Amino acid sequence: MITIKNLTKSFHGKVVLNNISVTFEPGKTNLIIGMSGSGKTVLLKSIVGLHEIDSGEIWFDNTLFNKLDFNEKKTIRSEIGMLFQGSALFDSLTVEQNVRFPLDMFTNKTPAEKNDRVNFCLKRVNIINANKLFPAELSGGMKKRVAIARAISLNPKYLFCDEPNSGLDPITAILIDALIKELTEEYSMTTIINTHDMNSVMEIGEKIIFISNGKKNWEGNKNDVLHSECGPLNDFVFANPLAKKLKAIMK
Amino acid sequence: MYNFLTQVGRYFLLLKKVFSKPEKGSVYYRQTMRELVYLGLYSAGIIAIISFFMGAVITLQTAYNTQNPIYPKYLIGLGCRDSIILEFSSTVAALILAGKVGSNIASEIGTMRVTEQIDALEIMGVNSASYLILPKLIATLLFNPILTIIGIIVGIFGGWIAGTLSGVITSENFIYGIQYAFIPYYIVYSLIKTVFFAFIITSVSAFQGYYVEGGSLEVGRASTKAVVYSSVLILMFNVVLTQLLLS
Repeated sequence: MITIKNLTKSFHGKVVLNNISVTFEPGKTNLIIGMSGSGKTVLLKSIVGLHEIDSGEIWFDNTLFNKLDFNEKKTIRSEIGMLFQGSALFDSLTVEQNVRFPLDMFTNKTPAEKNDRVNFCLKRVNIINANKLFPAELSGGMKKRVAIARAISLNPKYLFCDEPNSGLDPITAILIDALIKELTEEYSMTTIINTHDMNSVMEIGEKIIFISNGKKNWEGNKNDVLHSECGPLNDFVFANPLAKKLKAIMK
Repeated sequence: MYNFLTQVGRYFLLLKKVFSKPEKGSVYYRQTMRELVYLGLYSAGIIAIISFFMGAVITLQTAYNTQNPIYPKYLIGLGCRDSIILEFSSTVAALILAGKVGSNIASEIGTMRVTEQIDALEIMGVNSASYLILPKLIATLLFNPILTIIGIIVGIFGGWIAGTLSGVITSENFIYGIQYAFIPYYIVYSLIKTVFFAFIITSVSAFQGYYVEGGSLEVGRASTKAVVYSSVLILMFNVVLTQLLLS
């Protein structure tokens, strides 16, 4: 479980996140939604410690993460997997070397054990016969899946996904969503996903928080999102003409 | 001035991170071997080619500017040897490497920064500065002196070839000249300078790449800055080291 209490973050005096409090539950796909520039990515990067926060508390289970120093954070970070918007695969390493990297760095497994784990993770995300390819030789969807394989290679307790569907076609996006949800349930991970993709919201949004102008405006699940009276959320959810017609019919 | 001091402070803080204890020795060793090939071995060709032609030109220039019966011919060989050992093999080669290796390091690390690969390392709990920069530093500190030796040997060979083929000096005179009044300490002096310059090239270029913000345009700018700042620092330290080591 990850608990955020009164998190505030600013850049050069401009407040980007304002007093956000939320709890992300394990075994669930927790979604952070909001328009571009609303502060979703800053929130995600603040939670994992890539941004120093101005004030507030970030708890990973019973550990106050934001008060730990770099070395103390390593223990928690070894339990974190992260999928970046652009995949962030290491260009100079092949697919299998990318997935093996965390194993090389943080485990004392034998080469055979590492290979087994790499192959298991790649198979789990449906990447077959691509072990020796470099990231530049992969499609967008394959890159995302390899990045997921790398993220789960150490059996993380926490999985963070920043815009996992950006740049993907709708069918591949659905597959990636389904994969993240399956893995979350399979490993009982606390998964936090940043997205502005409404398909993802309706498919895997077990817990959703809506961020607008750096503030948490709404909290609920995929069943609540269509019936909310929150104005900014409705503007976001029913932004396109088809969705507006749907809303009118629902009323 | 404030900005300059901030940058200097960030540079030394980065070095502190670079020299912290590595997470896994075996991974760093493998990375260092890779960098020895990419930054060291792959630079040997350009150093050899430039050294050969520089040695040839120095020999011809010396010959055409000392066409006086008072000067013994073997001085052409001596001039070639000392020019190559004292300045070319260390300083001029370092300026060339600042262009080749420096821009390579800055653009590689800068691209990793803007594509979030460095963030990915940090999330895993890897000290990204140490993992990315320390192997490059070790590789260049170890291999650049070898490049200097290659530069000296090939440069003098180039001088001998040009001198004898053009007929400005006989082979015997040239060989006598490169042995005449030889001071072995000059080689040590050259190698010491090379080690300093290797550190400057790698650390300054890595610093420029590591703190890139933005996109590909900024990576290009960082790469240019890496070459310019490294070159200026090399020239400044050349003066200081020459005074300290030869006075």
